Parts: sequence; structure tokens; C-alpha cells
Amino acid sequence: MAGQQTVFVIDDDQAVRESLHWLLESVGHRVCGYSSAREFLNVYDGTTPGCLVLDVRIPGMSGLELQNHLLERDWCLPVIIVTGHGDVPMAVRAMKAGAIDFLQKPYNDQALLDRIQLALELCRQRRHSHRELARIQANYRQLTPREREVAAHVVAGKANKVIAIKLGLSPKTIEVHRANVMFKMHVNSLSELVQVWMRMETPATNEASPFS
Amino acid sequence: MDYPANPFAWALLSTVLTLMAGLVLYVTRLNLRLRHSKRVLENEIGERCRAEEKLAENENRLRQIIASEPECVKLQTLDGILLEMNPAGLALLEAGQPGDIIGTSVYDMVAPEFRDEYRALTERVFAGESGVMEFQIVSLKGRRCWMETHAVPLRDGRDNVIALLGITRDITARKHAEDEVRLHYRELAHAARVNTMGEMASGLAHELNQPLAAIANYSRGCLRRIRSGGGTVEDLTQAIEQVCQQAERAGGIISSLRRFVGKEDSPHRTQDLHAIVREAMLIAGPEVKLHQVNVRLSLAPGMPHVLGHAIQIEQVVLNLVRNAIEAMGNVPPERRYLTLRTYVAEGKAVVEVRDTGSGLAREMQSRIFEPFFTTKSAGMGMGLPICRSIVEAHGGALISLSNPNGDGLTFRFTLCLATEEEIDGWTTNRFRD
Repeated sequence: MAGQQTVFVIDDDQAVRESLHWLLESVGHRVCGYSSAREFLNVYDGTTPGCLVLDVRIPGMSGLELQNHLLERDWCLPVIIVTGHGDVPMAVRAMKAGAIDFLQKPYNDQALLDRIQLALELCRQRRHSHRELARIQANYRQLTPREREVAAHVVAGKANKVIAIKLGLSPKTIEVHRANVMFKMHVNSLSELVQVWMRMETPATNEASPFS
Repeated sequence: MDYPANPFAWALLSTVLTLMAGLVLYVTRLNLRLRHSKRVLENEIGERCRAEEKLAENENRLRQIIASEPECVKLQTLDGILLEMNPAGLALLEAGQPGDIIGTSVYDMVAPEFRDEYRALTERVFAGESGVMEFQIVSLKGRRCWMETHAVPLRDGRDNVIALLGITRDITARKHAEDEVRLHYRELAHAARVNTMGEMASGLAHELNQPLAAIANYSRGCLRRIRSGGGTVEDLTQAIEQVCQQAERAGGIISSLRRFVGKEDSPHRTQDLHAIVREAMLIAGPEVKLHQVNVRLSLAPGMPHVLGHAIQIEQVVLNLVRNAIEAMGNVPPERRYLTLRTYVAEGKAVVEVRDTGSGLAREMQSRIFEPFFTTKSAGMGMGLPICRSIVEAHGGALISLSNPNGDGLTFRFTLCLATEEEIDGWTTNRFRD
């Protein structure tokens, strides 16, 4: 199940599930419905992009537990919580567990569609940044131990001469290492190198949220 | 004196003398017999007089007893004509003197809604039966009172029923007390229902929001398709049919909730026990789902109707079901089984609610029906006492039992079965309210 972005709907109420399917299809979304968190986890393998519309009071595995499962497996599927009743403590817990929004049933359809749009966009971004990070990490793995050492000093803003003294090498050698780092990390300037370095050190938080 | 010389004359004389002597003898004997008879008669007369005196004394005593009897004693004919009534009866009817009512019809004093029943009782008594009845009268001064009468046939020497002998007492005070108790009990039961709904509100709101959300989704989906020109007529029709179905679903939930928390109770009459059980399970549905309880319904086929108030019975079932769900909070979901069983035993309908929770020690079990005793952190301790009073007011009993294999508790309550006539729509007098 890879490819097209999909809205995964988990609600134990068949009528709610099918009606959401009908509504989301009207704006061209691909929709898959599940009656429980377990049923969803049995089929989902993390490859299909999309978002999750989750009823907070589903029987069996709770919405909160499911959110933890997603986090553990590092599946960047944004979660929109819907509930039939304004249950504030539950909403707080869901948001803390990483839900991107909380809607009360019956909700305004436009509000839901907007949230879904944003969630899908967020998923795209997350996947993009995941891929970026993977690429940066792959580049980093190309560096020799000495090159990594030099790169760390460069990013810390030290001049070649200072690094040379610190490592007991000649400035010339440092220059060669530095050029190799720039080449292997696919960056053209010091500022770019700093950026990818930061990106690598804080992978999870370094994404722009459209909701912030 | 001249003695007749004629021998004939002598003979005649001696004959006459003999006859006279015989006559004297006869008269003397007659006299003796008469005296004897007189004595006997005198004795008899004396005895009879004494008997009559005794009889009069007895009657007098009886009259005094009846006159001083604090309850109304009356004799009436088949047509309801009052033959006799003691002073207590006169006072009850607020009649100044016997002449005010003796000879008039009792039926006129019985409140109109009870007249047919009273007439039927009179007819039964004249057919040789006796009977008891509660009814209202309107006194001569227009006061309404509740009466209870015991009526028996009064027979003559040839065993013919000649009158209805009725002993009647004023039960107005008792009736008022009963009404008051019933009112308090009903208010308490109502308060408990409202409380239950309060506790269940969040789950029920969720339950109600489901069809509303579905309706909104379907209609918005239709609108979007209509505006964009997408969607076939068949698709749209199907969606709108779904909207109708969901609207009915929401309506159904609301009406059963309104019925449940309503103060207006259904009358005490014959009820389909299984329909009540299913209704209770419908309201308990959200909690059953949320707590992942497996429900097993084992309802006896052909269960006869029971007598009672539908909502109160439903309240008992719901209360026991919710207790069972709560009792299983500490066991893993796959071992949470709630079994609801109905059957008939010893002429009563039996309902059993069984859980597979952690159970309760025997000494605790004897206390759970006490008011304000609770094993729950948020409990009031009023649920089970109210359930027990409801069941007892219905002529049944509510008990708790430990399950034989040691896991969990069973609550069992009984209800009276309705008789054939009651099923045909006849309600008994004692449950009139």
C-alpha cells in the first residue's frame, strides 16, 4: 500500500465511517476506513502517506495507545482527533501525544477538510524532511573519522589554523580535509554545512509545522 | 230419718252412695293430675321466661356490641337498599340519624368510578361468596373517603341469602400514607435515574453525536457533489437514505433517554420483560463498548409478561449492568463477560446479571444493600438500596450471590408474572395509581 496519499479513518461506528468516506471522496481524497486501531495496525505498514482521522473513544486499543505506536515506529502519519463529546483531559493527552488537531463531532465539514489538507501537507513535509535527513546521514557516513573531527571544528566556527594546532596537523592538511567534507556533504558554503549539521543533530524537531 | 223399707230403695241408695264415692275418688285424682300439670306448666313458663330474658339479654348485648363497634356494620339488599347500620356507620357517612339513610341505596354513596365493582361484589355475595374491596365513598356532606369492606352473605333458617352483611372501615389515612410513601419512593427512583444519566452523559452524548456526525457528513458530501456536478442520482439517493436512517437512529436514542429520565412513569401493568432488558442494554451500550465487555444475553424463549413499571424495572437492570461493568474494571478485557439471563422459577420471572469481576467477600455482600455503603470511589451507595426497594415494591426480591467458580458476582431479582386476565388488560385495584 504505497503511493497516493490516503485519509485513514478509524471509528467503530459504521455509519460515521461510511459517511466520512462519502464526504472525503467528494473532494477527491482516497479514503480507507477501519473499525479499530488493531484493524488498522494489522494492515498498515508505514509506506502509504496520508493522515489519520481518529475517534478518541474507539473500543479496544485507545487512540492514545495508537498514537504511541505510530511514534515508536516513527511513522510520520499526522493524527486528527475527533470526538463526540468535549472531553478536555482526553484532548490534552491526545495533543501531547502528537495529535495535530482536535475536532468535536458534529464538526463543520470545511473545518475538517481544511485540517485534512494541512495534515496531508504536513505528511508531505515530514516525509520530505525524513528523506533529506536520510540523505544527509548517508553523506555523513562517507566521511572518514578525521574528516568528521575537522568538520565538527569547522561547524563550531574555528579557523583552519586553530584546528591545525588543536589536531597537531598542518593547515594545508586541514584545508584538504575541509574540501573533502564540503564535497562529500554536498554543500557549497560554510553556512550550508552548518545548516545540514544542525538538521542532523536535531532531526525530530527540525520541521516546519503549518500549525505553529 | 225414715229408712225406706223397700229393699229396692236400699239398693238404689247403696248404688248412689257407691257412685258418689267413686266420683269423689275420680275428682280427687283429677285434681291431683291437674295440680301436677299446673306445676309442670308453671315450670315451663318460668323456663321460657328465663330463656326469653336470656335471649333479650343476648340480643341486647349483641346490639350494644354492634352499636359500640368502631367500624361500620351494615345490612343491605341485592338492590343496595340499606336495611340496618350501626352508629359508627352513620358517623362515617355523616348521617345525623338512621332515618337519613336507612332505606336508601348504598350505591349512591359509592364514588361513581367504583360503583360497577361494588355492584359486582354485592352480586357475588348474594351468590353465596364473600369478598373484600377497597373503594371510595362520598359522604352525605360530600366528603370523599377511602373504605375497605369485608362483605359476607347473611342467611335465614332455610339457608337463603337474605342480606349482605358488610363490615367497613375508613382507610383514608392509610391510603394517604401509602400515597406519600409511593410518591417519595418514586421521587427517589426518579432522582436515581437522573443521577445515572448524569454519570452516563458523556458516553451517551457520544452515542448521540455519532448519527448526527454521519448525517452532517452525508449531507455535506451530497451538497459538494451537487455543486460540482459530480455524483449520480443513485449515489445521492443512497446517501440521502442514509441520512434518513441516521436521523431515525438519533431520534430513537433521544426518545429512550427522555423516557428513562422522565418523571411520568408508565402505569403499573403487564410488561414485556425482554423488551425492557433490551432497552436497558441499548442505554448501557456506550459503556459496554468503552469497557470492552463481552455481553451474553440468554433470554428464556416464551417468557410470560410481568407486572410492574417498565421504567423502574429498566432502571434496576441498567443499574445492575453498570455495576457489573464497573466490577470487571480490574480484569483483562478478554475475561470481561457480562451474562444476562432470564427464566421462570417458582411462578416468578427471574432476571440474573452475572459478571466475571473480582467478586465480593460474604460480609461485604450483606452490606451492599445498605444505604450509603459503597465499594466505589465515586459511588453514592444508593444504587442497590433503590434497586432493592423497587424490586420489593414489585413484590419480588433482589439478592447477590458469589459465582460458584469464585469469579465475580451474580445479582438475581424476581418479578411477579402477569395472569391471563391481566394480560387481557385488566389491572388490579391494589396497583391503581
